[in-house]
Amino acid sequence: MKILRKISDWFFAMGRCFAREWHICLHDMGVLLFFVMLPLMYPIAYTLIYNPEVVRKMPVAIVDHDRTFDSRKLVRDVSASPTMEVYDYVPDMSAAKDLMARGDVFAILEIPRNYGKKIGRMETAHATLYTQMSLLLRYRGFASAITDVQLKDIAEITGERAALLGQAGAQLNGKPIENDAHMLGDIEQGFASFVMPGILILILQQSMILGICMLTGTSRERRRKNRGIDPLLVQNVPATALIWGRTFCYTTFFAAAAIWLLHWVPEIFSLPHFGSAKDWMLFILPFIISTAFFGQTLSYFVHDRESSFIVIAFTSVIFLFLSGLTWPMYAMPDLWVEIGKLIPSTWAVPGFIRINSNAATLADNFTPYIWLWILSAVYFIASWIVIRRIERREGPRAYVN
Amino acid sequence: MSSLWQSIVYGYRYLCRRRLYLIVMVFVPLLCTAFFLSLMQNGLPVRVPTAIVDLDNSTMSRQMTRNLDAVQLVDITMACESYQSARAAVQRGEVYGFYVIPRNFQQDALSGRKPVINYYCDMTYFVPGTFSYKGYKSVAVQATASLISETASSKGLSGNTISALIRPISIDINPVHNPWTNYSLYLTPSFSAGVLELIIIMVTIMTLTYEIKEGSARRWLRDNRGSIVQAVTGKLLPQTLIFCIVGWCIQGMIYGFGHYPINCSRWILFITMPIFVLACQGFGLFVSCVVPNPRLALSTGTLVAMLAFSFTGFSFPVQNMYGYMGVFSWLAPVRYYFMIHVQQVLNGVGLWYSRWWYVIMIAMAFAPALLLWRFKRACLKQIYIP
Repeated sequence: MKILRKISDWFFAMGRCFAREWHICLHDMGVLLFFVMLPLMYPIAYTLIYNPEVVRKMPVAIVDHDRTFDSRKLVRDVSASPTMEVYDYVPDMSAAKDLMARGDVFAILEIPRNYGKKIGRMETAHATLYTQMSLLLRYRGFASAITDVQLKDIAEITGERAALLGQAGAQLNGKPIENDAHMLGDIEQGFASFVMPGILILILQQSMILGICMLTGTSRERRRKNRGIDPLLVQNVPATALIWGRTFCYTTFFAAAAIWLLHWVPEIFSLPHFGSAKDWMLFILPFIISTAFFGQTLSYFVHDRESSFIVIAFTSVIFLFLSGLTWPMYAMPDLWVEIGKLIPSTWAVPGFIRINSNAATLADNFTPYIWLWILSAVYFIASWIVIRRIERREGPRAYVN
Repeated sequence: MSSLWQSIVYGYRYLCRRRLYLIVMVFVPLLCTAFFLSLMQNGLPVRVPTAIVDLDNSTMSRQMTRNLDAVQLVDITMACESYQSARAAVQRGEVYGFYVIPRNFQQDALSGRKPVINYYCDMTYFVPGTFSYKGYKSVAVQATASLISETASSKGLSGNTISALIRPISIDINPVHNPWTNYSLYLTPSFSAGVLELIIIMVTIMTLTYEIKEGSARRWLRDNRGSIVQAVTGKLLPQTLIFCIVGWCIQGMIYGFGHYPINCSRWILFITMPIFVLACQGFGLFVSCVVPNPRLALSTGTLVAMLAFSFTGFSFPVQNMYGYMGVFSWLAPVRYYFMIHVQQVLNGVGLWYSRWWYVIMIAMAFAPALLLWRFKRACLKQIYIP
């Protein structure tokens, strides 16, 4: 009976901590900014940045030393490509380089003197595209666009040449093997569709950690001012009750944020959004819980209210890279892969992307799902240790001695 | 002069008071640079894990599988018996794409019935998706070419005629100054600069506005004989020095230790760093003047510095953003640093082409002086709103 009593006391204490944490959150503008405004506005800002999806109409300077029908046709095809746009003809390479240096063009197409002649003589005609390498996305656009132009022209010229060869050529006309590319998850190969699902998870994690660290930082300030007691917290409750009460509070906040971020944002911007709601919701639950514990653990490093920015903000970039979104995990050194495993987003980003963009199920994401629960357990223990250490260092006993 | 010196000494002592500042100002930017350098040290993420679905299993299809495995870009890690199981492997994240060779492939190819090879690339991950696409496409095109050349030579056509038939035109792509198409050449320097900018802005705002929070702003002003210019200069100059040294160390790590290519004089890099540091401090000061409240100023500064990673065009070009989003890119100093980096370090064009970026950064560093009166007023009121 005694044990039942203890359990019910614990739950009662936890409930009080939960209600108190809600009260504190609602009366703190700084925390509301992180818990409400950040998840609300950031995804919109990010999606608007990336929403043009693909790079189009990138200016190209043309250096045509040939000026024949064939070279002009090549330039016309370049101009017709959606990715490239002919900026201007320039007389020589130095003029073209000047345009590139000014940032007016991002590529130069140089057609040599005998381009048309070589086509007429049934030889291989060469041309060169010089691309600026300040962004991989531009290079990628140029490379695929010029390959398309080339393949189209090759098909036409091969057809003409094959016809000239008579009977022997007739069988060679057209491709003996066709090929067809299919893009999974991000059909248009757009940038927003690729990057946003991952960014949404990171926004969720980082705004949660920032808010939690601000809350605990403020609480530590109050503690120091009031001789080791934070008057706003529920007093004389076990540390576990406090941690769980807080975690439930953050979970309720971020469950709502998750529905906005992970359901409505993709819906509003028509980003890929295929997985079943049941799957991603079940998947995200341990992510939110583990992040709540993770945030409470990190709050060890946040001694006052505004330090939360300086301690937490830069980690967003690190966590983004560790999640493998921009740099695939198989190419990372093992050390970073192992460190990454300790961060909830490293599991949640790929898992959510698979569910959201590739219509995977929860069963497909068994490993990340289990890992998120393991992280929840690990960070629960860590946050308990953190609370105990803060109590010891800044609690009432520190002042008594 | 001596009173400015005292102010500088105070600024230095202020930084020493909290270990946090030292850690964040020195270790975080250096560690982040080391992180980026080591994360991408293996060069391009080639050898993309791939599945093969060979429904034909003929001599020709097996040859094609071997060719695919020999391509540098992809690595066949899995053989699947059907489309469904390969697709499931993508959904589990085990492979980033798969290549389907259809039933009766060899038979159809040789008898001119034009079989279709389908390949599937997981574009939810851009880099591996693109690489697998390139690898798959090149193998498919190669197979077509080799089949045409085989047929042509059996018809008695000469080697030259055959190559002219298969490849009547050839357009070479020359990635200027980065023939390896190495992503990290621009990513590491620009992301490191982005982190440095974030830290500079935050530390500037925090050290300035904390005087108000800690209730020491009035005394701080009094010690500077009421001169806000002297107070702010004294407080920020030690930080300028520390950040410059950290910035040079970052450059040393990237271009010295990392041996990243550098196509301009090293002096340009050396000179750009202090200007960049000053511009970032100017931005922090500007925010502190506009909203002299620690939390709001830090929120605003962090918001801009974090979004700067996206709207500065490290990954998606500013020219292709919506106009109303693209204009924000000119807000952050790191945009100008990025432009200078692209023009000078990557492309090695003359310094003349980058002149405006320097002018704007210098303007950013000193323009906030016009708003210092607002900050002074806030210091005199000394009201902290949490």
